[in-house]
Amino acid sequence: MRRSLRFRLTVAVVGVLATVLVALSFVLHAVFARALWRELDGRLRDDAAAVAGMAEEDGAESEFEYEALPEFERQWRPAYFEAWLDDGRVLARSPSLGAGDLEHGAARVAAPTITDVSLPDGRPGRALQLRQPLRLEDAASARGPARVSLRFVTVVVARGTEEVVETLGSMRRWLWLLGLLSILSASAAAVLAVSRGLRPTRALAARLAGLDAAQLGRALPLDDLPAELAPVVAKMNELLTRLRASFAREKRFTADVSHELRTPLAALRTTLEVAASRERSAPEYRSAIGDAVAIALQMQALCENLLALARLDSGPLPARREEVGLRALVQDCWRQFEAPAGARGLKFENEIAPTAAVVSDREQLRLVISNLLSNAAAYTTLGGTIRVRATGGDAPVATVLEVHDSGPTIPDDVLPHVFERFFRGDATRSDGVHCGIGLSLARGVAEALGLALTGRNTPEGGVIFAVSKGLPDAGAP
Amino acid sequence: MRVLLIEDYAPLARSLAQGLREAGYAVDATGDGAEGLALAEANPYDALVLDLMVPKVDGLTILARLRARGSNAGVLIVTARDEVSSRVGGLDLGADDYLVKPFALEELLARLRAVIRRRYGAPANLVTVADLVIDAGARTVKRGGQPVSLSAREFALLEYLALRRGQVVTRTEIWEHVYDFAAEPSSNVVDVYVGYLRRKLGDGEGGAPRLIHTHRGLGYSLEALEVA
Repeated sequence: MRRSLRFRLTVAVVGVLATVLVALSFVLHAVFARALWRELDGRLRDDAAAVAGMAEEDGAESEFEYEALPEFERQWRPAYFEAWLDDGRVLARSPSLGAGDLEHGAARVAAPTITDVSLPDGRPGRALQLRQPLRLEDAASARGPARVSLRFVTVVVARGTEEVVETLGSMRRWLWLLGLLSILSASAAAVLAVSRGLRPTRALAARLAGLDAAQLGRALPLDDLPAELAPVVAKMNELLTRLRASFAREKRFTADVSHELRTPLAALRTTLEVAASRERSAPEYRSAIGDAVAIALQMQALCENLLALARLDSGPLPARREEVGLRALVQDCWRQFEAPAGARGLKFENEIAPTAAVVSDREQLRLVISNLLSNAAAYTTLGGTIRVRATGGDAPVATVLEVHDSGPTIPDDVLPHVFERFFRGDATRSDGVHCGIGLSLARGVAEALGLALTGRNTPEGGVIFAVSKGLPDAGAP
Repeated sequence: MRVLLIEDYAPLARSLAQGLREAGYAVDATGDGAEGLALAEANPYDALVLDLMVPKVDGLTILARLRARGSNAGVLIVTARDEVSSRVGGLDLGADDYLVKPFALEELLARLRAVIRRRYGAPANLVTVADLVIDAGARTVKRGGQPVSLSAREFALLEYLALRRGQVVTRTEIWEHVYDFAAEPSSNVVDVYVGYLRRKLGDGEGGAPRLIHTHRGLGYSLEALEVA
């Protein structure tokens, strides 16, 4: 199954978005957790300072003046403290401790230390331990140089961490939820955007489905298309233009073919109908039958040419490469024109040397030469001469062979067009027998053989059609 | 009736000319547009059978030039081009009818008869003058209900007189419409054929009314005069 654009775009959007969201969540979580833990530690520090401040020296006695701290007294999630002197005597304990004891580190550690502990009621907690000198009772009111107590109190304060843990947990849940919501909405948006963006392609498809040969002329509209599709449609329009031209050519070709076949068909029918219209003598019937056969042969030649042309159009013909003796081939080709040319008083001169040869495909070369001779036999004026020459003599070296006729010449404005299919501009040379595909076919076949076919008028008033090794990849050595 | 055939495909021109001649027409044929135009301008053809794609001067140009010169010859276009636009173009230029190749000879002859009829203002193939009935389609003649056997030339002469009945037709006109270039011109050939025709029709004999009248110094006419 083909993977849809929508699917691929959605996967990409979701992938990128998920990565970004996960990274963002991690950072957010880390920053937030750090802040929460710091805040907790700050509170522990404040608690410790407050508790330490309650221990004072009163002469030789160390006193603890407890002031109510509700957090240290309540039953539910209480905070804890414990204070003791350097000699190990416990100075004070928070009411929440009850009979329990608070974990604490080594005594006489000066710097405040924070550790994770297990609270007496089993909760996970965090404890801060600090050691500082006792406050002197009259220090606050004393004037003069301050006195510092030489006795120290160590205070441990602990609080449960559940609030921080719960807050972070809740935050993680929210991040998950929001992340999923973002991904879902983004995928939906991607799907929608792609569907909407591709809507013109569906319109385009519907339009294309409705196209038939007659509508090829109408170009597909480019206006409402997304920029990415416009070049595709522009190319499609070019394709449509080419198809239209091709269809038009095809149509013209069919019309021309039917036209070329109608005339001999009309002649055949009329000849037979006239012959059958009354009782006739045997010679009259023979003459009519002869005419009919001649017409049928012409039609056959036309059909064969058309078929060869169609084959040529559908790809290069498979060409054999063999040594072809030109003189014998030309003589062979001429045989079919001998009788009609003789009737028009045409002279035929085959001036090719018996040794002249070319490496090519015999049958395809025959097609070329036959059509050149047919053309010459049809157009040369009564009593004229058709002469065929090959390499040697005054002909250029690259020339394979030339068919000369004694005229009339082809007008200069017509000459470039004589190789076009069904070209009938050569009206002045027409005797009506000719149909305009012979030369077109001859040139097509010659080119498939790697040969060039050109026509020119001579100063003497004749026409020369020359087959030469004019193409770069000439099929001859 | 005299017809000019302009068709450049020799086998068709040959058989078509033969078919037309055997149908009683005097036929001149050419495969060359320029020659065809010259012939059509020089001779009062009753009809042209015109191929459109002929060398030198194409059929439509011939038609346009003829109509521009005021020629009213019937024109039947015979062509391999069967597109509607081509038909419309030909008819609009003044062609009387249009036939696409290949065609049935019978149909071509029928259309040609119709074209010529129209030219002479005759509504049907049947022309009746008193007790003389001439059927141009079946090429039969009856006088008083009895069939009369005529040669092709005699029938052509009678047909022409019938189409122009009531009018005096000169010898030159008869010559121009009944004979083609293949016929040897001679001074009294028309008079001789009129004589043959009168005899075969029994004109003015045995109490039958005279229908072919001689107008001295002018020509002949075919009509039923009430003067007995």
